[in-house]
Amino acid sequence: MVALARKTLIYEWRRFLPAVLAVGFAGLLQLLQAALVLGIFGGAAVYITCSDADVWVGYPGTQSVDQGHPISPDVAILLHMDPQVDRVESFLWVNGDWHGGGTGAVSVFVSGIDPGPHGLMFVRALSPRLRARLTAPDAVIVDRADLGKLGVAVGGSATINGRRVRVVGVASGLRALGGVNVVASLETARRLDPDPVDAGRPTYLVARLRDPARASFVVDALRGHKGFGPYEAWTAQAFTRRSMLFWLFDTGAGAGVLFLAGIVFLVGAVITSQALVAAVIGSVREYATLNALGVGVRALRWVVLEQALWVGAVGLAGATVLGTLLILLARGEDVPVVLNVPVTLGCVLLVLALAATSGLASMRSLRRADPATLLR
Amino acid sequence: MITSDNARPVPALVARDISKAFVSGQIRTTVLDRLSLEVMAGEMTLISGPSGCGKSTLLSILSGLQSVDAGVVHALGERINDMDKRALERFRLHHTGFVFQGFNLFPALTAYEQVALPLDYLGLHRGVARERAEAALAEVGMASRMHLRPMELSGGEKQRVAIARALAKEPALLFADEPTSALDADNGQMVIDMLHHIARRHGTTVLCVSHDPRLIGHADRLLTMEDGRILEDRRATRTVDATLATESR
Ligand SMILES: Nc1ncnc2c1ncn2[C@@H]1O[C@H](COP(=O)(O)OP(=O)(O)OP(=O)(O)O)[C@@H](O)[C@H]1O
Ligand SMILES: [Mg+2]
Repeated sequence: MVALARKTLIYEWRRFLPAVLAVGFAGLLQLLQAALVLGIFGGAAVYITCSDADVWVGYPGTQSVDQGHPISPDVAILLHMDPQVDRVESFLWVNGDWHGGGTGAVSVFVSGIDPGPHGLMFVRALSPRLRARLTAPDAVIVDRADLGKLGVAVGGSATINGRRVRVVGVASGLRALGGVNVVASLETARRLDPDPVDAGRPTYLVARLRDPARASFVVDALRGHKGFGPYEAWTAQAFTRRSMLFWLFDTGAGAGVLFLAGIVFLVGAVITSQALVAAVIGSVREYATLNALGVGVRALRWVVLEQALWVGAVGLAGATVLGTLLILLARGEDVPVVLNVPVTLGCVLLVLALAATSGLASMRSLRRADPATLLR
Repeated sequence: MITSDNARPVPALVARDISKAFVSGQIRTTVLDRLSLEVMAGEMTLISGPSGCGKSTLLSILSGLQSVDAGVVHALGERINDMDKRALERFRLHHTGFVFQGFNLFPALTAYEQVALPLDYLGLHRGVARERAEAALAEVGMASRMHLRPMELSGGEKQRVAIARALAKEPALLFADEPTSALDADNGQMVIDMLHHIARRHGTTVLCVSHDPRLIGHADRLLTMEDGRILEDRRATRTVDATLATESR
């Protein structure tokens, strides 16, 4: 088989360059946008993704980690009854106002966690040594990047909801969306909670399983038990998604992201199809000759589509290389960028769809390849 | 392929009372006016006549590239004037070759690939296709240049590749429209010789449109057109009145 599409693409690369660049940049933009969205909105789920819990139990209908309400501590009994459950912990969420360092009030999210050496919460952000410092009374840990905003240094003190706290250390990867995360022990956090109704009631109960792959079965088994007050269980994965999507759409960023993705797709497709049309028209007499010799219009369409897919593949390769470099650069500069396999695959599919759409659009120009026009 | 019961040649192409007109805006131009014609198998037939008299239009109708407004066209015994697009493409794939004034070669492909490309669509085995492509290139004297691209070929060489591309399909019908007009005298002569040779050697029916006087000596039959009609029908040796020739069936 003579690889007409591929050979033409290589030989007349200048002609296809605009199409390759359009596809490549469209791909790069989608990829970086996705990485930024995941990075920024991943902050809404940092409590889940930085922790080792496989199952989360909270108030029914909770849309996002920061939207929790207290539940009955008795649900822990239910959890312990499941043989899959290895460890159960309370997680307390307290909204607070931070005063100190002359910065005015800063709204903070206090995470009350088990500071013990086997604690599940924030294992990926806090070293055991750092975590142990939380056992001291009034000790809190904040993200290094938030120190300026809070107007304190390590060792400094401030107040949350009018109670004194002391910064005993800093970590990274704790940055939150819409506020500042402050990590404290459960005991410290309880003292910071101004609402006496919450006393002794956790916002969440989190559990680690012997086999994390069984999380959805455990969640199913937790459903429908009466006498424990209102509660709902989620797998960590489902709760992460729920939290991210809530922020994505609650802030309107989701609509913005989709809008931008649509624009990028459209502009990319227009430029790519124009370049492909130009390429088809440039070879229209040759295509017409093939048609005169009996090569069907369908087969010629396939050549055009194949060309478009090659353009997509080359553009994608470029976007991948450049995208990887840019993401590494962003990481180095503390810009929150995250990529995962499904989202990357989604971007790849989107780019190939863009190339295919452009190919389909440019097929129309094959109509000019009428062999009768060769005879004049 | 085409055999005759008696010694008389058999027509490969038959057109009966075909008419063709083009409408642009309010103006309707009749290009072919109730034209009838038989083209004999294995012969080289030349059509000449003044510019705009409808030669190319006739060629495209006889080769299944254009439809007629009225009349009937038979090619190799098949009625092609009411075939659908797909059936016509299939007919052309199996039976017809074309040589145009322009060479219409893909800039990205080597001479060999230009010739092998249409063979891919014939569904030939790779080995057979390769043999045929190489044989066709050898026949037009391009065997040693078959790995060159159009950029590296002269005009005459390009037209020879175009002829090889048509030839490799081993078509029963070969159509050529002004195949020499983009070439200088020597190259034109060579192309003419080749077409003539193909008709002789392969028994191909060659129908050629040209006003190149050098071609006339090579043709088995010369048709002269004017205003959408055949004015004169001359055999290599004798001249027959056109109307007599077509009405004597
Ligand atoms: N697609 C078309 N639309 C309108 N008019 C056409 C079309 N094709 C051909 N014609 C007209 O039909 C007439 C015959 O055209 P044709 O190409 O058959 O001439 P020709 O004999 O090949 O001339 P030449 O020797 O200059 O190539 C011309 O007057 C031309 O303008
Ligand atoms: Mg003409």
